Parts: sequence; C-alpha cells; structure tokens
Amino acid sequence: MQSNFRNWPVLLVLFVFSAPLLIMLTFLLVDAFTTKVPGTMIPNGLTFHHFRFLWTDLDDGSWGIWGVTLNTFNFALFTSLSVSAISLTAGYALSRLAFPARGFFLGSLIVLHAFPTVTLIIAIFLILQLLGLYNTLIGVIVVKAALELPFGIWVMKGFYDTVPWEIEMAGVQDGASRFTVWWQLVLPQVQPGLMAILIFSFLSGWSEFILPMVLAPGTEAQVLSTYLATMLLDGGTQADFNLFKAVGLFYALPVIIIYLVFQNKLMNIYGGGTKG
Amino acid sequence: MQRSSWLGLAFLSPALVVVLLFFLIPVVLTGFFAFTNMSTATGVKGGAYVLNTSGLRALADAGLPKSTLEQIEGAGYRVDAKGLEALAADFGQPVADEFASLHDGEVFSKRRDVERALKDLRSNPIRKTRDRKIAADLFKRSLLNERFDTLPGFEAALEEAGIPDADRPLITQVAYTGWVWTTENFGFLMSLDSTWQYAKNTIIYVVFTLSFNVLFGLFLAIATFYLPSGQAATFRAIWFLPRILPPVLYIVMWRWFTWDTGFISTVLSGFGVSPRNWMLDTELHAWTTIVLINGFVGASMGMIVFSSAIRAIPSSMLYASEVDGASRLQQIWHIILPQLRWPILFITSYQTMSLLTSFEYIYLATDGGPGGATEVWALAAFHTALNNYGGNLQYGLGATYALLLVIIGLAASLAYLRLFNFRNLIQKPRIEG
Repeated sequence: MQSNFRNWPVLLVLFVFSAPLLIMLTFLLVDAFTTKVPGTMIPNGLTFHHFRFLWTDLDDGSWGIWGVTLNTFNFALFTSLSVSAISLTAGYALSRLAFPARGFFLGSLIVLHAFPTVTLIIAIFLILQLLGLYNTLIGVIVVKAALELPFGIWVMKGFYDTVPWEIEMAGVQDGASRFTVWWQLVLPQVQPGLMAILIFSFLSGWSEFILPMVLAPGTEAQVLSTYLATMLLDGGTQADFNLFKAVGLFYALPVIIIYLVFQNKLMNIYGGGTKG
Repeated sequence: MQRSSWLGLAFLSPALVVVLLFFLIPVVLTGFFAFTNMSTATGVKGGAYVLNTSGLRALADAGLPKSTLEQIEGAGYRVDAKGLEALAADFGQPVADEFASLHDGEVFSKRRDVERALKDLRSNPIRKTRDRKIAADLFKRSLLNERFDTLPGFEAALEEAGIPDADRPLITQVAYTGWVWTTENFGFLMSLDSTWQYAKNTIIYVVFTLSFNVLFGLFLAIATFYLPSGQAATFRAIWFLPRILPPVLYIVMWRWFTWDTGFISTVLSGFGVSPRNWMLDTELHAWTTIVLINGFVGASMGMIVFSSAIRAIPSSMLYASEVDGASRLQQIWHIILPQLRWPILFITSYQTMSLLTSFEYIYLATDGGPGGATEVWALAAFHTALNNYGGNLQYGLGATYALLLVIIGLAASLAYLRLFNFRNLIQKPRIEG
C-alpha cells in the first residue's frame, strides 16, 4: 500500500518532532566522552574525565558510586524477586483455583491495577515511620514490590489463562495433588511470563525515583536515581552536564542492554502501560 | 470447603497481606490524616504536654481568667528532692535535712508560708528575710515549660496547682504537642488562593499534555503504519526510548537541552540571541517544556496501543477502499479512526488519571517554577507533606490535598472495572467447577 501516497511530508514532520529526542540522545553519548570548545556544540577531544566518579571521590556526601550501585542492584533485584514470587501463586489462584469470593478478588485486582498509587505516598511515608522501616532499603523494597504487585499478578494471570486445562486435568487424573500439578506441570508452561515479570519489575525498580527519594532519603539507602537527582538538583548554576550525562549513561547501561536484548517483548508489556 | 479452596486462599494470601498493608490501609489512612493537623512539629506517634510562653499567650487570647494564668505560672511551692538539693547546696546540708524531715512532700500555696516554715527551723542559719525569700523560691514550682509525658500526669499537676475545673480542658488542649483531629484543613485549603491556582495549573497540564499524547500518538501510529517497515521500526525505537530510559536521566537531557549553556542557547547565540534558561525564563516556556517532557513519554504509549489496534484491522478492508479509489486521508478518516474509538477512549481515560496524579517529571524539571506557575495539585500535595523549604512538613494538610486525588483515583478505577468485560474474566475454574 504505497501507491497513492508520498512519504516525504510525513517523514519530514516525524523528523522535526523527533529532532529534540535525536539531539538529546546524540549529545548524551557525545558529551559523556568528549571535551568541547566552550560556547559551541563541536567536540574537540576525547576524554574519560567525565567518568571520574567511577574511580575518585566526588566529595558530595554520598558513600561512593559502587555502594550506590550495589544498593540499586539489590533494590531492583529483591523487588523483582518478591513481585515474581507473589504473582506466581496469586496469579494461579485467580486464574485456576476455586475459592470463596473469587469474583470479588478479581474485581479488586482490576481496580488496584488502574489505581494511581503515587497518591498514597504520604500515607505510606507515615506507615513506614510507624513500622520503623523509614530510611531503610528494605522499607523501599517492600513498598515498591507492593505497588508493582497488581501489575505482576495481572500479567501472570494472563499467562496462566493460556495454559490448556487438559494438562492439569491429565495430572489430576493421574492422582497428583493440585499443588503438584501447579509445581510440576503448570509452572514450566508459564516461564515466559515469569521472565517477563522478572525483567519488567527489575527495570521498574532500577528506574524508580520517587519512592527512594521520599522513603529513604538518607545516604546509606541511596540508589542511582537519587544519586543523579541530587547532583542535578543541587548543582545550582554551575551544573556540570557532562558529568551528569556520564553518570546517567552509567546508570542507564543495564536498562539499555536489557532493552536491546528483549526489545520486542518489552514493547508488548509497556503497551499495557504503567507510566504516564 | 473443598481442599482446593484452602489452596486458593493460601496461594492468594501473600498478595492479600501486601495489598492490605500498602493499598487498603494507605487509602483509609489518607482519609484519616486529612482530618488531623499532623506535621513535623506534632510528630506522628502522639506527643507530650508542655505549656510554654506562646501557649500561655494563646490561653490569654482564648479568654482564660488572669487568676488561672497566674496559677499556671506560679503553681505553688513544693518541698521535693529537687528543691531540697538546691537548698542544701546554697544553705548547707543540715538545714535541708531538717526542712525535709519536717515538711517533705508538702505543698505551700503562698511564699510567705514557706518563709515562715524556714524561719521556724530549729537550726536557723537563714537570718535575713531576703535570703529566706531566695530560699523559698527554690521550691517554687511552675507548670510553665514543665514536660509531662502522659495525660494523667498533666492532669494531676493541674489538680495540685488548684486550677479551676472549667479551665482545664482548654489548657490541656493548648499544652498538647501531638497531633489532634480537626476538620479545619478543608476550609483552610479552600481559603487559599494558591489552592485554586494549583487546580488551574492541573487543568492546563492535563488538557495540553493529554491532547499532545493522543494526537501525536495517533500520528505516530498511523505514520509508522504506512511507512516502509525499516523506517517505521527506527521511529518506533526512537520514540520508545523516553519510556524506557530512567526518568532522572530523561530529565537530565531536557535540562541540558534548555539550560543557559545548553543546546538551544548555544545554537541561538549564533543568531545573536542572548543565552538564557529556556525552561524557566517565562511561564510559557515552562509550560511548553513540561507538556513536551510528559508528551514525549505519553505519546509512545499511545503509539504502541494504537499501532496494535491498527494492525488488527483486516487488510482486506484497506485494500477494498483503495480499489474504490479512497485517498490516504479518506482511508484514515473513514476506516482507521472509527476502529480506534475504543483505544482512544482507553488512552484518554488512562492518561488523564496518571497525569492528574503524577508529579515526578515536573518535580525534576521545574519543581513547580517559575514562581509556582507549574505547581500542579499532586506536586503541591507532595511539597506540603513531604518536601518543602520551610522544613515543617504538614502531613495532615498534604493528605487533604492527596485525598481528593485518591477519591478521583478510586472512582476512576471503579469505572474502569465497569468498562472491562468482567464476565469473561470470572470464568469458573473447570476442575472443581
């Protein structure tokens, strides 16, 4: 279907609107590795000076990039593991098992899935203070996992729904308990779903900013998003954007790698949409 | 109950606990907090009872009789360990010991009585009247600046000071440092001009960003549908990046782009335009940037959803229209757009919700500036309760702002439930039936 249609006006419009993004992405890469003549956009030399935060202390009150990176990794990993583990059982229950008030739980799941959780941040902040989990990484992990959970259960339920009933019926026929059927016969069928949730919630945890900022502002629980944001917001007028971009690239590296590897899968999941 | 019922509930229980703790309780608590005056000053866990000078002034303003105020300030003279220690230090241990043996634990209401008691001591080393006055003052006990951790303790102190029953509730209320229930938050917020400004800002923000998201998302989806697959994939990948990149990095790029040493300034300085911060120099620029920042992320969601909806249209329909001589625009208008009615409704309602409640990008980009011009409702709630320059975080007031968003969110999510094909969802499990 290309006959009665000229591409170039559309391409031009697309290009004009994409220009800011293209410029920002290009200079994200260029500026992180080069020096420039002040007042121009033209690089005049390669440098790794902007990545000095990796081997020197920036004297910015944080406890070093590697500690922060480890925190971020732990945060993303444990969030992702908890979400996956809980979704794996809850999704199966909602998809396949008969129990009282199942319809109600399913309805609640949809409501929770649609509910804008960021509005609860004030109450959650106070709850963590009462629980004594304020300003700890564990506290943020628990909250992040909880807020990701409706999405995880929703996706997992979708995957369980596609597993043929015959598999389970055959298992039950042969005398296996429902638990054994789930563990040995159904779980292998939903591995793609499990992978999807693991990856998605890991990315989501890695990128999360509001929760660590509000719930764990201290140095010890700092993650890369708050590390970069502190740099960005406290910079004043003397902002060193080359440094910010280098930190940003370092921060986004796992995200970009995962994106390149799982591009098509991720596009489908994001289609469900959790970001504005 | 069948055994599988138990298995189902057991499988569901971890999720239920988490949902209860971090969804249901916070929703309810937001409602509760909105009716309190909770803040950094009052603390979260309750407080103590302290009357200080400003409290006393408040009591005077509230019309408490002068006599009661004086009673608070000079609540009498009590012979206790603290006073005796001071007496021993100033006038010698023997005096203190004898005074203790005669009057320990006693309470005198007038200083003259204390002086007389001191004068009557057998070993009488305090000869001068002036010294006796000083000695008596060592036992003076005032309710002022005295800290009581419990209500009974405070009430007992009021009782001893002989404060009239009628005045006690008011005094207790003023002295309490913890949070209390109140309904004043709502009236207070309504009376603030800034509240209406936030509401206006929110409407501007949602309307413009949403229009950009939907229209540009549609454009992206339709354009990439007609473009050769290589070009289409490239543009889809470019537009997908803002969604996948961490928000903080995304805003770093935008801040650089608009900074006074950044891209726009540098390029325009070649044309003689003086460098400036293009994000924050005027309200118009701030709004444009905010709409674009959110729009570039939001449009990609529209793009993905609309694209898959367009691909679901049977291609025979499109071929047939082409055979009948329809132009591309006619094809879009008469075939594609009607098919996209539901996806457009979905994106509109979903993004209205998330735009109303999200503040992450605005906080990182303009933080509500310049001069509060881009302070939207959700950001105001966040600033009031969790992040302000004054340092006194007003949880109660912030929760009142948030409550409105929570209510809108709940209503919209329930509406969402009705739109869903729910009957399809609750198909009965086939094994137990």
